[in-house]
Amino acid sequence: MLQIEPLVMITILVPWIGALVVWLIGNRHEKIQHIIAVIFSVIAAISSVSMLWAYKSGTILSFEMGSSFGNFSFVTDGLGLFLAIVATVIGALAVIFSVDYMHGDSQLGRYYSFVLFFIGAMAGLVLTSNLLLMFIFWEITALCSYVLISFYNDDPKAVAGGMKALIMTQVGGVGLLLAAALLYAYTGSFDINIFISNPSLLPGNILTILAFAMLIAAAAKSAQFPFQTWLPDAMEAPSPISALIHAATMVNAGVYLLARFYPAFKDVPGWTLSVMIVGMLSALLAALMALVANDLKRVLAYSTVSQLGYMVYAVGAGGILASQFHLFSHSVFKALLFLAAGAIIHSVGTRDMREMGGLGKELPFARIVFIIGAFALAGIPIFNGFWSKELILESGLERGNPIWIYVIMLIVAGLTALYTARCVWMVFYGEKKLELTVHPLGRNMKIALAPLAFGAITTWLLIGPFSKMMSTSLPIHSIDEINLSHLFKHVLLAPATWIALAIIALGIMTWVGRAALSGIQRALQPIASTAQASFGFEKINKLIVDATQGLGESLRATQTGKLNWNILYILIALVVVFGILIIGA
Amino acid sequence: MDANTAFTWMLTFPMISSAVIYLVGRVFSRNVKNENKINPARWLALLSLLGTGFFLYLVIRNVFSSGQSHYQSFGEVWFRFDGISMMLSLLVLVVGSLVTIYSFTYLKKESGQEKFYALLVIMIGAINGLGCALDLFNLWVWFEIMTISSIVLVAFYKDQPASLEAGVKYLVQSATGSMMVVFGIALVFLETGTLNFEMLRMSINAPSPYLLIGGALMVIGFGVKIAMVPLHTWLPDAHSQAPSGISAMLSGIVIEVGLIALLRAIGGIALSGQNWGNLLIGFGILNMIVGNLLALRQKEVKRMLAYSSLSHVGYMLLGFGVLISLNGLLAGIGAVFHLITHGLMKSLAFLCAGVFLYNFYIAKGSHKPLVLDDLNGASKKYPFTAFAFSIALLSLGGLPPLAGFMSKWQLLAGVAQTQNTTMIILVVFAGLMSVLSLGYYAPLVNRMYRNKPSALVSEGGAVSVWMYLPIALLTLAVVVLGIVPSVLYWLTGPAGYSLFIFFGQ
Amino acid sequence: MNISTPMIVMIAAFGLFGVGLYCLLLTRNLIRVVVGLQIMVKGAMLALIFVGQMRGQPSLGQSMALTVIVADTIVAVVGLALAVQVKRSVGSLDIADISKLKR
Repeated sequence: MLQIEPLVMITILVPWIGALVVWLIGNRHEKIQHIIAVIFSVIAAISSVSMLWAYKSGTILSFEMGSSFGNFSFVTDGLGLFLAIVATVIGALAVIFSVDYMHGDSQLGRYYSFVLFFIGAMAGLVLTSNLLLMFIFWEITALCSYVLISFYNDDPKAVAGGMKALIMTQVGGVGLLLAAALLYAYTGSFDINIFISNPSLLPGNILTILAFAMLIAAAAKSAQFPFQTWLPDAMEAPSPISALIHAATMVNAGVYLLARFYPAFKDVPGWTLSVMIVGMLSALLAALMALVANDLKRVLAYSTVSQLGYMVYAVGAGGILASQFHLFSHSVFKALLFLAAGAIIHSVGTRDMREMGGLGKELPFARIVFIIGAFALAGIPIFNGFWSKELILESGLERGNPIWIYVIMLIVAGLTALYTARCVWMVFYGEKKLELTVHPLGRNMKIALAPLAFGAITTWLLIGPFSKMMSTSLPIHSIDEINLSHLFKHVLLAPATWIALAIIALGIMTWVGRAALSGIQRALQPIASTAQASFGFEKINKLIVDATQGLGESLRATQTGKLNWNILYILIALVVVFGILIIGA
Repeated sequence: MDANTAFTWMLTFPMISSAVIYLVGRVFSRNVKNENKINPARWLALLSLLGTGFFLYLVIRNVFSSGQSHYQSFGEVWFRFDGISMMLSLLVLVVGSLVTIYSFTYLKKESGQEKFYALLVIMIGAINGLGCALDLFNLWVWFEIMTISSIVLVAFYKDQPASLEAGVKYLVQSATGSMMVVFGIALVFLETGTLNFEMLRMSINAPSPYLLIGGALMVIGFGVKIAMVPLHTWLPDAHSQAPSGISAMLSGIVIEVGLIALLRAIGGIALSGQNWGNLLIGFGILNMIVGNLLALRQKEVKRMLAYSSLSHVGYMLLGFGVLISLNGLLAGIGAVFHLITHGLMKSLAFLCAGVFLYNFYIAKGSHKPLVLDDLNGASKKYPFTAFAFSIALLSLGGLPPLAGFMSKWQLLAGVAQTQNTTMIILVVFAGLMSVLSLGYYAPLVNRMYRNKPSALVSEGGAVSVWMYLPIALLTLAVVVLGIVPSVLYWLTGPAGYSLFIFFGQ
Repeated sequence: MNISTPMIVMIAAFGLFGVGLYCLLLTRNLIRVVVGLQIMVKGAMLALIFVGQMRGQPSLGQSMALTVIVADTIVAVVGLALAVQVKRSVGSLDIADISKLKR
């Protein structure tokens, strides 16, 4: 009989032990490092999946930490369990993929240690019910993300990308810090479930601060408006990292946070609308940027931002199940797309789509899996992305949500189809551009890609157990159970679906008929160029960084190094302190 | 041995043994035959610290078994061994012993080692005494002993102009500060007629101008040592020029000792005004922002670490300020915890920087500063030191699962617990400052993990085991405290509480 | 306003302190810096002895002043020793010549 308590510990701690072991083995034994990393990540994956058969409600484990740390407790409800499975399974696949991808790289110990460290932390992040512990894991995932983005430290772009990701997610992390500190200050505990079942524990204005602080934290972590700029720059990371951290798991943490706290905040005035607007803006802006980007991984990064925008929108619209279901689909197909893109990049040695083209013949396997992923991303029927995206769009129509946001989300669905078609075309079809030497895909790459491709076609069949798990284990979230036939009826009979499909078809048609539409293309040129300049957000980022650096540099002049000046500072301080005390008294 | 004897020995043992260390070391090094032999001063110093630690253990055991602070008088001068004293003595002995071991190698080739070790032991002894002094003037005396010994240690490389310059600045500014403290003491005595903290508390119940002026003089006087902005100007010079072990002591211990001294002093006259806590909070804010901004563009590693001390002192000032002005016990405990973790992680950072500095420059007889570019690819040749340095830096930047995160968290949770709007804004500010600090810690970590080592790294010598040992222990401590912060609660709790009852209205 | 003896002494003490601080603010010669420090110390000693008298505990005030003298002598010795070393290694006593550490 399976016990859930040890399984939770195994899922979190086994990857961490693996991280330590890989690090201790040292970089001289490359082969052993590969094997150990795969073994430990697969154990974690197996253990997390087997938690499904040992499900138990309520708090599973609790460690008393005393003082201001509360009880470090864990629960395995639907939300957390399924994300833990996603993190560990896709983690294991990414590690298997890395065996070929990272073959021969130096400093493998650092790479695998942090990947395994990340997997454990991500599982912990979603399984804990202590807000402080969640914050700790949240920061650990940010740390791992930064280390792995700037894994190639000799490349200044990689370092800059890592720093940007670190700083931006940490700024968001301050929101979570504030939320955790306030929760503790007003309730004396960190327990999330107690809080969401009774949010009136907090005074109204504090609850509002908490709600918006968490929205900021989530937006920063999930690369949502206005923090979306770090994710494209994070693409300097090795591709398995992009697939694991920046598509399938860590960036979902923000959506998870919003979904988890939705029942507590849904009555805060303006919160749901703000969430929807953040999601909508991210989806729209990122889709436009994906349309004009030429770097294969950046296109995928923008599409990740855009799809995360859908999920955030769904949470705001009250469709928790829809958002989590799309999160599930997205994790699978986006990990697939990133890994396939990684395989392609590994084979041809460039990331620029303009230099690719006509690769279909040389990389047939990559083509098949990439196109499966692309279909799911575009929302073509049968593939998993279709079902979950339709659920999201429908939830946008329910509960009196504003219709104009829904309309924009529909348009974004068309844009998604358009940029997906463009991307597939530029990589696999058309003329072969350069004389690139193409290496075939490694065996381990195929082992990792095949299950994901299979998943992208089939995971929607799991809607029955998925929704059942959610609805039984999360009573406060009031999630409806949907089974498969229900899903068919729900999606296929709704007129909204056909409108959406028509718009998706229109998007693909636009790409096919792009030659005929050159007039429109020219008319839209200004939008394209602002999209290429990332709508000015990069400029704002740069402005802030430059201002801070400039301030730091100019302050250094106050450190004159002359003794007389130093004495003068003491005198000034003395006078000021006198002044303050005399005025105060 | 009863508690009184143990306590007496705890205070006197370092002083007596430092004289022995100096004499033995001097006689030994004067002898031409011993030119290439190991100076016994180093072992005597370590023994002396361990002996002091033994007496400290006896005192602590007594305090825990009786459950109350230990009082003792020498004539008219009273001492009290309470939570704060315990925390301070333990911290200084642990870090001091590690620094002593570390210096075995670091000072291998220097002349005047006996002076170094004797002064280090005196400094540690003085800090021990300062922690228990219950009399304002006595506090000043211990403080002055600590200051003078640290000045000489800063200017240890007596042929280096830079080292002398740092020593001169440190001396003049410290002396100015301590004269202000004496004036402050005089004014307090003039008003109350006593200098005993507990008597002061009982005799003061209304504001008075003398006390305000005296308090302000003491804030500024001790503030020079705490490196409150804008009194901090000596700090980057002294911390970067001292031998690395001393940098670790200065940054990890001495500035915090100044803070404790200030808290003791203000504690005595706390009831004379409402603004003492706010004053500390104000300086805390200034320290955080100025320290971080100055460190942001710094190219020299040790100077950067020195500036980062400013911002960390800012956190502590914030915590203690909240303790004083808003009765935030948890913030005080958090500040004490941050004081301890900062002592550990900043010493670790300086010791690691010292390993690089020693192997790149000092072992070759050069006294150039260690700059950021020197560390490129350091992990290739010094994997362990680079790892420990990264741990220290990331912990300073407040990333979990490291000690710095936990202590910052506890401090900020305590600040938020006051449920005061301004304080909640300050939590956000402090959080953002912590993010800003990553802007200079993290790129340094990236540098060390480059694949292409700098020329200095490739030429650098091997690291001796005496340097590895303290670094390994400190790294372990930083990681363990980050994972199980509650292991130190027995130390931080009483310390915070002794402050709390001191300031409680 | 009538000027009493205690007030004169107090003004003298702070005056000495001020003179010393003024000296530190302006002078550039290292020896004079040490002298400036000493003037400040004299002010502090005067203040201590004075408050001892005022509170009727002259012996306490004097013993404190004596301790300050001892402590400060050490500071002066260290300061002058540093000055000697500076003269040897830099070749001048001007503190403008030892302002290399900055920023």
